[in-house]
Amino acid sequence: MYGFHGRLLHIDLTTQSYTWQDIAASRLTAVLGGVGLGAALLYDYAPARVEPLSAENPLIFTSAPLVGTGLTTTAKYAVVTKSPLTGFIADSLSSSFFALELKRVGVDALVITGAAEQPTYLQITDAGVEFRAAAHLMGLSAQDTAERVRYTVRTEEEAEVRVAAIGRAGENLVRFATLSNEGRHAGRGGVGAVFGAKKLKAVALRGQRRVAVADTEAVEKIAVTLRERSVGPHTAKYREIGTVANLAVFDRLGSLPTYNFQNVPFAQAEALSGESFITNGFSQTHGCAACTIRCERLFQSLSGEAQRLEYETLFALGPMCGIEEPDAVLQAARLCDQYGLDTISTGGTIAWAAECADKGLWPELRATGLSFGNAEAILALIADIAHRRGAGALLAEGSRQAATHLGVEAEGFAMQVKGMELPGYEPRSLKTMALGLAVSPRGACHNRSGAYEADFSGHVDRLQADAGRGALVAASEDFSAVLDSLIVCKFLRKCFDDFYAEAAQLMSAVTGWEYTAADLRQVGERINTLKKLFNLREGWQPEDDWLPPRLLEEPLSSGVVQGVSLTPDELRLMIQSYYAARGWNEQGLVGEEKKRAVGL
Amino acid sequence: MDTQASTQSPALSAVILSGGKSSRMGRPKALLPFDDKPLIAHLVERLSQRFSDIVVVAAPDQTLPSLPVTLVHDAVAHQGPVGGIYYGLRAIRGPAAFVTSCDAPFLQLPLIDYLVSQLTHNGRGYDVVVPVWQDRLQPLHAVYRRRVIPHLQEQLATQRLRPVYLYDTVPTRTVPAAEIKRFDPEGLSFLNMNTQEDYQAALAHWRTLSAPISCTVELFGVARLTAHTPRVPLTLAAEATLGDALTVLGVACPALLGSVLSADDTGYTSLRNGYACNINGKDFVRDAHTRLRAGDSLLILSSDAGG
Repeated sequence: MYGFHGRLLHIDLTTQSYTWQDIAASRLTAVLGGVGLGAALLYDYAPARVEPLSAENPLIFTSAPLVGTGLTTTAKYAVVTKSPLTGFIADSLSSSFFALELKRVGVDALVITGAAEQPTYLQITDAGVEFRAAAHLMGLSAQDTAERVRYTVRTEEEAEVRVAAIGRAGENLVRFATLSNEGRHAGRGGVGAVFGAKKLKAVALRGQRRVAVADTEAVEKIAVTLRERSVGPHTAKYREIGTVANLAVFDRLGSLPTYNFQNVPFAQAEALSGESFITNGFSQTHGCAACTIRCERLFQSLSGEAQRLEYETLFALGPMCGIEEPDAVLQAARLCDQYGLDTISTGGTIAWAAECADKGLWPELRATGLSFGNAEAILALIADIAHRRGAGALLAEGSRQAATHLGVEAEGFAMQVKGMELPGYEPRSLKTMALGLAVSPRGACHNRSGAYEADFSGHVDRLQADAGRGALVAASEDFSAVLDSLIVCKFLRKCFDDFYAEAAQLMSAVTGWEYTAADLRQVGERINTLKKLFNLREGWQPEDDWLPPRLLEEPLSSGVVQGVSLTPDELRLMIQSYYAARGWNEQGLVGEEKKRAVGL
Repeated sequence: MDTQASTQSPALSAVILSGGKSSRMGRPKALLPFDDKPLIAHLVERLSQRFSDIVVVAAPDQTLPSLPVTLVHDAVAHQGPVGGIYYGLRAIRGPAAFVTSCDAPFLQLPLIDYLVSQLTHNGRGYDVVVPVWQDRLQPLHAVYRRRVIPHLQEQLATQRLRPVYLYDTVPTRTVPAAEIKRFDPEGLSFLNMNTQEDYQAALAHWRTLSAPISCTVELFGVARLTAHTPRVPLTLAAEATLGDALTVLGVACPALLGSVLSADDTGYTSLRNGYACNINGKDFVRDAHTRLRAGDSLLILSSDAGG
């Protein structure tokens, strides 16, 4: 077999045993790797209606056919499980050397079930699995855990291990805890809490196996082309500034959410802009393994420490919480990384709490000094969430769960979809994105579709809703599903002239199996249908595809988008157009005929 | 008058009706001077940007300056718009024509393009496309297929001289104001002149449009870092387009050429792949022919909004 190993490693933490199992070629052809294979395995291994933080919820790592080929931006892996934040599928990506090592272990997937009795970490090689005590690692950050694991290895060989670990938030079952490796995070959906529930602190990998490709010459030729394109104008933003470049321009377009989505624009946007970070201070550029784009930016805080910063982190811990000082955002980001917290959900949950405090709905919280813009109180609350102490214990459940304790008014401004806090794209001024956020299988997600791309294209009126958006969102989701299953970084997405045709050529060269553009289009649709089927099995209802009341009741009241609103009728129209584009019925249910049509 | 026919077979034609009485104006409206040139010369110049076949319908004894158009005369004077449309359509070489009067100094080509496109709408074909502005049909800013000629002929024979009778007879697409505003927010296309006061007001507005305009380019991301400035003020010719503005920007900020802008052999400048333009923080624009207005802000940003 080329491109794949054709097997998975099933590890049972309860019995401390493991087995290798074959994966049929037909399955790999049908869903590729990454999120596609992860979704398929989740459907198989998760008992219906499984409790996300129970031993029975499987934790699935998947590799992908392009990993290890040397193609730029392909050193990625997926972690898939049932999300403790949403109760639906969680499929998060992370990247770099851990991803390469996963492939070298000689499997296409790790499926981890059961739960350990004591804190444990897994040492996995291509020869097997060791279940090692992790009590001495508890309380450490993911980064410190990785260093300690490498420090305590027993052989020189083991010193080369690559480690993914959780921090204190995962240990404490914070429902938006991350899994981290090499400073990168499988961030959204709370996979870190699933680790914590299994008493699993880390996974350390070391392998020697390599996967051959079917046509080395053809793969190399494509690799050269993509490498050249990856340093062209389409990626200049990521290479020169990083994703933090979004903040100033989003603010100018009325698309930067601020103060818990209460309004736009943000008075201090220039001070917090990526351009200002680059111009005014020290910064470093980093990249994942096998990446020529190198989008990562580290900025120096006043204390002299270098901190990674992405747009979503900058938005969520900055304007969303009313924080104006760049250094305060860097400190907050550092805390989230240290504890292993998803920065978007952390910022979104704290912003909700700050509004509760402002409105007098949570007097105890107000007494702590929490309010929008109070950096000191917000930094303290981040630590409280990670430790589940004081108000942090409730906030560790996420804004949706926390809001149910405070009543209907507080629920109206919990800015989440399916329990997942919204990213930094204002839905009222980005109507295609509004639909994408409402219907995304994993909740308010900006990664499993690039629906905002349509709003920025000039092909649609971003301020108006219409029935054409359903097809755009479905196409974007399918495109993303293929990207995330090959796996290719989304920042390479505009470097293809004809994505499906070129990806089919690439997959044929890597695997030796004949793929056409049409095949891959169907793979994208199949994966999204599979995710929907999983969610349906876990109890999805039509009201889950909806946006928070604030977005549908309050027009934007200032800036270039003053008066722009999104009504329930407009959202309903777009959702129906999405279901129609997907071939689902008006309730969003998938019929037998549709399942057959996509090969499920 | 140049009445030589082009050998090119045009897809669509334009008809200008100039045979009206001009009684309240006191002199022929077609000849009213705008910038020392008769209005009809401006209209022909503008419509030539879209139509190679232009027909002017004049009154039987009307004299007009030499223009690159087909000139026809009403056989019977003063039969109203229906007569003018009838004689104009008989002279066109294409299957349909955009019809306007000679006293509309502010025609907007994007709107005309849109009206022409609406001859087919939602898979259905129409013989007439007529806009509705301020709740009134605008028959002299409309598109007519040649095949309505027999209907017009019958209307003339029966003295039913109101265009609305035609609309009741043939498939007609009425274009509502909401659609018109996308191309002509103020409805300048429908501004015509009947009195000296109308003429003076139009002239004043014309001069405003003819004056140079000031715009600001706001640079974001790589463009800002490359130019070392967040914004660049530009002075542009009246009726400048996005393409014109980018060309002037390339001259003002040569550092942007090659990275953000690319110039062709003639110096005409466009955005490179990977960059996008938004006007005033609202509309993303792709068409280099997009007309700019005084005070506009052009935002130059990365076309990839991933974060």
